[in-house]
Amino acid sequence: MSRLHALLMRLADGIAIATIGAITVLVCWDVIARNLGRGNLPWILELTEYALPLATLMAAPWLMWRGQHVRLDVLEMVLSERARARLERVAAAAGLAVSAVLCWYGVVALLDSKRSGAVMLKALVFPEWWLYAPVPIGFALLVLECGRRLLAPSTPAEASP
Amino acid sequence: MSWWQALLLLFGALTVLMMVGLPVAFAFLAINLAGALIWFGGEAGLVQVVRNSVASVTNFSLTPIPFFILMGEVLFHTGLAMKTIDSFDRAIRGVPGRLAVVTIVAGTVFSAISGSTVATTALLGSLLLPQMLKRGYHPRMAMGPIMAIGGVDMLIPPSALTVLLGSLAGISISGLLIAGVVPGIAMALMFLAYIVVQAVRHPQLAPAFDSEEVHGWARWGPLLVNVTPLVLIFALVIVAMSAGWATPTESAALGALATVIVCVLYRSLTWKALLDALAGTTAIACLILFIIVGATTFSQILSFSGATNGMVALVQGAALPGWAVLGGMIVILLILGCFVDQVSMMLITLPFFMPLVQHFAWDPLWYGVIYLICMQLGLLTPPFGMLLFTMRSVAPKSIPTQEIYAAVMPYVTMGLGAIVVVLAWPGIATWLPGVLLKR
Repeated sequence: MSRLHALLMRLADGIAIATIGAITVLVCWDVIARNLGRGNLPWILELTEYALPLATLMAAPWLMWRGQHVRLDVLEMVLSERARARLERVAAAAGLAVSAVLCWYGVVALLDSKRSGAVMLKALVFPEWWLYAPVPIGFALLVLECGRRLLAPSTPAEASP
Repeated sequence: MSWWQALLLLFGALTVLMMVGLPVAFAFLAINLAGALIWFGGEAGLVQVVRNSVASVTNFSLTPIPFFILMGEVLFHTGLAMKTIDSFDRAIRGVPGRLAVVTIVAGTVFSAISGSTVATTALLGSLLLPQMLKRGYHPRMAMGPIMAIGGVDMLIPPSALTVLLGSLAGISISGLLIAGVVPGIAMALMFLAYIVVQAVRHPQLAPAFDSEEVHGWARWGPLLVNVTPLVLIFALVIVAMSAGWATPTESAALGALATVIVCVLYRSLTWKALLDALAGTTAIACLILFIIVGATTFSQILSFSGATNGMVALVQGAALPGWAVLGGMIVILLILGCFVDQVSMMLITLPFFMPLVQHFAWDPLWYGVIYLICMQLGLLTPPFGMLLFTMRSVAPKSIPTQEIYAAVMPYVTMGLGAIVVVLAWPGIATWLPGVLLKR
């Protein structure tokens, strides 16, 4: 089970890394081609924009798994070990609740958009709901990770990068 | 609910959630959900939160962030950054406090190629701190310059946080990136002068030591070979942006590509190094972007609840002189900087500050540079400055945390001095963008 969990987290991060790598290559290619008079591809600019939410939502569960999200540890510094573990569970429960609600409403936003037949009409033409697809996936993975933290606050992932 | 009740509720709940250790982005998201139910019309508001979250980072002005971070990560993972520092170490000889001077000079050049303050501090800390301590440098003399120059990284382009400030505050990103150059270099020079004076007045803080004698090519060659390409990459990014060949995003991507090409030419690029650099970039960039996913809707809720307008109207109605309002903003930023991260700082304060900047008709670039220096100080001020934690992670356990705090204080004081200087002489911030961008 924990192996599958780790695999899912790594897979999501892999998608994020590939996305960042791809936009780097595409933007470089676009600017060089344009300055060499080979014309430019307007869809690259647009694709770069769409890549950011995809990468962000795919990397978020991995960052949570690795304990890398920015957080204040004001209380952690003064609390006992036991109180700290309890507080970690409270934070994990809150994270789980937030992620579950956003996952659910991510699905609602996606279905709303699909039903309305909304289309993105710029250089690239595609159904608008594609943009919302990473939301339920990213937050579903965050639900899994927050759930794992709720059950076992000590994280093997943080200990062994 | 009146605007001030809304303001208290929103910030009160945000503070509590952050204090219990919920990641900053999740604290914002939790408040958004509650705020959407109250001010965005119930369930429809929750769907709107999802739409806003996607829209907040679907933004071309944010795309330089990963590219600027990638530049530093590539140099770090390929080992080229270490060669750069070693080159300065060979070239800079016979100066009081030599290794601390090497730290500042190498840090300034590395800042001009790295978009991440933490990466710069970690690199300098892991390489130069052990050397300085071994040579009998006082821990304060060894650690202070490393943290201080790491903070200056934020001012000297490329800088991921400058891009974010420009994007969130609606200030020209290329203008703001270029505006940071002169104040950044001036601060580095100020640190250099301080170190040399301290080393002359108190030689025991930085004892001179016999090092291998190097002359001619052995001394200057590595500097020419290893540092020139980095300076050229910096020039490429700045020139591409200011000459209008490329947008800030494209300049950043070109900078990243040029860094990769340089590493290939130096035969230091491996697939593993490239993948590690990409993974590191994704982690740092997405960390920042995920906070934006949470906090953009927070700004909208502040606005919908009437809190933003109420607060701004209160300040405007008080008919305070501009300098008092600006002074108040700086104090708020400095206090916030002690406790919260830079991205949250921007997202919490900009909705209130930017309407006031327009009201007083301040030059946005001048204001942006002052804001950047305040954020830079936030990286250094105890107890939660990010670079203090970075230093803690690379410093030997035997050095108490209080010593790290003490080491950084002279540089924080100089940073405050820099704010006063930029306030008094706005040209320090606005001259270079004026020349290069023909503003």
